[in-house]
Amino acid sequence: MVEFMAIQQRGFHNTCDKNGNIDGFEFRFVPTYYKGLWFTQCRFGNIEVDGEVFDRDGLIFEYQGMEYTREEMFDLNLYWQFREPLVFKVKKPGGLSIGYHDVKLQFGWVLNYNGELEKEFDGSGLGNSFIFDPNYERRMLLCR
Amino acid sequence: MSTKKGHPRRGISMYSYQMLLGKTMTLEDAFLEMYDTGATCFELLTSYIEGYPNPSVKWIDNYWRMCEKYDLHPSELGHWAENHLHRGPGSTVDEMVEQLKRDFRLANLLGFTSLRTKITCTNMMCDPEPGWQEYIEKALPWAEKYNVRMQNEVHLPTTLHTPHIRDEYLEFIHRTGTKHFGFNIDFGTFQFRQAEGMPERMHRDFKDVTKPEEIVDFLPYSWACHTKFVNMNENFEETTIPYAEVIKLMIDNGWSGDLLSEYEGPARYGSEKDALRFGNALLEVPDQIRRHQIMMRNLLGY
Repeated sequence: MVEFMAIQQRGFHNTCDKNGNIDGFEFRFVPTYYKGLWFTQCRFGNIEVDGEVFDRDGLIFEYQGMEYTREEMFDLNLYWQFREPLVFKVKKPGGLSIGYHDVKLQFGWVLNYNGELEKEFDGSGLGNSFIFDPNYERRMLLCR
Repeated sequence: MSTKKGHPRRGISMYSYQMLLGKTMTLEDAFLEMYDTGATCFELLTSYIEGYPNPSVKWIDNYWRMCEKYDLHPSELGHWAENHLHRGPGSTVDEMVEQLKRDFRLANLLGFTSLRTKITCTNMMCDPEPGWQEYIEKALPWAEKYNVRMQNEVHLPTTLHTPHIRDEYLEFIHRTGTKHFGFNIDFGTFQFRQAEGMPERMHRDFKDVTKPEEIVDFLPYSWACHTKFVNMNENFEETTIPYAEVIKLMIDNGWSGDLLSEYEGPARYGSEKDALRFGNALLEVPDQIRRHQIMMRNLLGY
């Protein structure tokens, strides 16, 4: 079971490198769409935390224990199971402070009905799921 | 058309529970909900198959256990014919056929004989992307082998008189003579007014909708339909869709397919953004489905 919102507070915490130094943070995301998606049809945007932007190409995505970059996902022949979280890992030396944070992200996908075909054949946009808002945000409390 | 009265089965599409599944409701919870209503068949979506497209033997065994325990029969498997899964201009015909075959096998394994096949479209009216005939025709022998019937969904704002329905899909059926391609007629196509509480982006003018009598020509090519509903009142009436008229036409014309309740009302919108809305959906969605099933029982007489 996952939380009812797309951005999950459960799993939101700072991360450490192999020497135990805080090197960033992570959180989980679950699409709100009614079906699962192939990762090849997913389009990820940047992340913003408290106004600080983290470029989408610097993000690491973890799914079922394996890590991928955005670019690698374009060739990932894997189905993102319905209601299964994807971990967003963000590098930020020192991590986030203990307390509340406003987390925002953009996510879209290539939809095969209810609109025009995707215009950016290179996958650089947010797909063609135009009828759904690609902006997600949540205020979350970080404890560690 | 037969003069013998039809005897459709009363069922539910699991899509109706989608905003609760995996959040507060397991698949088995959904089976129990459906059992409570007296429905006898159901639509599953490929996405609700754990491990899709390769579910484990354990999952499959449990699926059949639930079908038996809750006395529910597989009706339709909702799947997608997606030819833009990779960057670039699109999949080849052979790649599409392989994709369809994979889902046909799975449908057969899970007991489904109908499919809601979502062919890639290019606009809100769901005009199909040119070239669909090639991969669908090449997949027909496999549909026959696995005993499944692909159905294009006629979904609002598409009507039964939208040109591509006759000019492309019906022409294809007549040209090939196939018994493995047809229509899932979503009852939203008959909707004549806005339901209260729908988000603004879903508002329509309802000037051009399908008239009930239009369904008759399409019944020979339909095996399962989405009995879409958006607002069930406490008297067990759908307030925006002329149910009694459409169901009577189906029965009088000898139609004995599956009617699958599919909820798409206001409670499902925005429930992932707001705790109060989600709380409302928790109560409202199962209630709306139960009300709809009572209406269907009243109309069908069973």
